[in-house]
Amino acid sequence: MASHGRNKFLTAKSTGLIITSLIDFFSVVVIYLMKSYSSEGSILTNADNLVLPNSMSTTKPKEIHVQVAAANDMILVDNVPVVPTEDVRKIPQEDADPIIKKLEEKLKACYAQEEEMVRLGALNKIEGDITIQVDKNVDFDVLFKIMNTCGKVGYNKMNFAVMSRSEE
Amino acid sequence: MGQVARKPMVDPGAGHGGDIDLKPFINFLVVLIPVLMLSAEFAKISVINLKLPEGRGSQTSQAVKAPPKVDEEDKLLLTMIITDSVVTLGAKNGFLPSMFYKEFHKYVSRTDRTVELTSEVDPANPTKPVLNPKTGQAFEISERQDIFLYVCDENKNVVKCMYTKKDNLMLTSADGVPLQSVKGGDTVYTTTNPRKMIIVSNPAEYEPRPLSAYDEMKNKLLKIGERYKEAPDREDIILAAENQVAYDKIVQLMDVAREAGFPNLSIAKLRG
Repeated sequence: MASHGRNKFLTAKSTGLIITSLIDFFSVVVIYLMKSYSSEGSILTNADNLVLPNSMSTTKPKEIHVQVAAANDMILVDNVPVVPTEDVRKIPQEDADPIIKKLEEKLKACYAQEEEMVRLGALNKIEGDITIQVDKNVDFDVLFKIMNTCGKVGYNKMNFAVMSRSEE
Repeated sequence: MGQVARKPMVDPGAGHGGDIDLKPFINFLVVLIPVLMLSAEFAKISVINLKLPEGRGSQTSQAVKAPPKVDEEDKLLLTMIITDSVVTLGAKNGFLPSMFYKEFHKYVSRTDRTVELTSEVDPANPTKPVLNPKTGQAFEISERQDIFLYVCDENKNVVKCMYTKKDNLMLTSADGVPLQSVKGGDTVYTTTNPRKMIIVSNPAEYEPRPLSAYDEMKNKLLKIGERYKEAPDREDIILAAENQVAYDKIVQLMDVAREAGFPNLSIAKLRG
């Protein structure tokens, strides 16, 4: 009787799930996730093979604007490839007012769309906001040509996307 | 013996009733984790705002030469200039001496994160491929992790300066001269905005490191900011860059300018 009782006790203990450590683990995961919680979610999607530079800036991207992304091989507008970066580099550097033709067309279409929305009353006025994601290894020449083109179309408020450096 | 075995039998409810039933709690955690995971952001993306004057493509070098006429005399027209070998500051009255820098690139292999290499860039041949020490193949440009700019003197020797070991903060004297050495009891200043005063208690907390051009630029900007508090454009700065300057350097310099108290940035192009 006595030995039977002890056996039962032992088997019951060894088959039961050890829950304490599992809960410990879950709690740690929950705390970690809560720390990196953001209510906005990610507004900016990161384009492929595009490395953003690190910066101390902590300004959060606010709304969704037109997005221009310049990687080392392609320039994209709203994640649609528009013009190869190589073609942009070919525009002569002496040009005081360089315009990337294909990018200009695309942006003008976006701008026209915004104008249409203002006409319909969906927007108050055209803010001229644009988000520019540039790979950190792209040279200034390409950046300048993109900025010039955006400015010409009417997108004057530029938001350069950067990786926020984590501050400990 | 018999008593030991009977103990749980006599009071069967004590063990179970005393424990909390953890199942609902685990269910709750299992639901909570995916929800939080969906809305967690692991890489924090932020933005730098830059506003161009309306109705024109961008601020070009003409705009620097012919600024608006309003109280032109008081304006500082501070300009930060970066080319492939020099960073310097210019203002209405003239230029500070050019700061020559040596460029170092840090590569980290994509396939093997332990393979790291920091190499100096040859100014004569900046596009020369850097070889991966393990595989012998050239690093791709996207494997470049960091660009370091170190100030060098006329003889092309990298200048050293004292840094704090912990936070990598550059130390200067009270009037903003980079320090070459510190000893206990010295009063030193960091290049933060505003400058922080430190009284050295343990010299082992500091060590000489190559002077970063970004830190020295921040130091100079802080000095200018302190001196020209009255200027009407004391928050404005123009960043003029040469064509081949990498975007990363521009962003770093924008950071430096913002930290030093010049948040209104404009970008200009330097024509050769």
